[in-house]
Amino acid sequence: MEHTESGDREYSNGEITVFWRPGKCVHATTCYRELIEVFNPRKRPWVNMQGAPTERIIEIINKCPTDALTYKWVDDVKNQQPNLKNDKIARALEFANKPTVKPVTVQVMRDGPLVVQGSFKVYDANGKELKAMAMTSFCRCGASNNIPFCDGYHRKIGFKSED
Amino acid sequence: MSEELQPVEFRVISGGPLHAIGKFTIMDMNGKPIEIEKEAFLCRCGGSKNKPFCDGSHKTVGIKDF
Repeated sequence: MEHTESGDREYSNGEITVFWRPGKCVHATTCYRELIEVFNPRKRPWVNMQGAPTERIIEIINKCPTDALTYKWVDDVKNQQPNLKNDKIARALEFANKPTVKPVTVQVMRDGPLVVQGSFKVYDANGKELKAMAMTSFCRCGASNNIPFCDGYHRKIGFKSED
Repeated sequence: MSEELQPVEFRVISGGPLHAIGKFTIMDMNGKPIEIEKEAFLCRCGGSKNKPFCDGSHKTVGIKDF
């Protein structure tokens, strides 16, 4: 059985099931910037499976930089087709197999966090190294409950970055 | 001499900015790259007038740290 954490959710339109694991989200905001009709963090439930055709939903899920959003076909035969493996798995494997140092980019998100990718380390104020990762997002608004990381709280306080 | 790429270090400064040490690229909101050669201090309080960089505003804005 797959390990699930509380807060994990599933959404289906009968064709595919979308899995949402909030613990893995780094708030890159790709999903709702590209498909607000389906992924709307202001609505409950925040995923509306009727908002777009299945192919479009899959396209956006494949752009999610982490496994926060994944999907499976309801018709299990389709899950066996190798061409349906999403490129996230390939990227993860590539990262695991090549322990080379990757250049770091820090993307500034409007009214949101700093999204960091590449080879980097994070240390807290006491010099303790925090969990290693290939991608994360740092709070810019000061309101996160998971400092120094973003937890999406900038939306609740209406953070305006104006930069 | 070829310089070997090192992982970038992000160090939290208590009550202050994020100290990024190393060579990396910042993409601003317009997609314009800013090349950082050695280090940068990145705003964590939301109050800087020079975002994404720190301008010392945290001293008046204040940062909660856990």
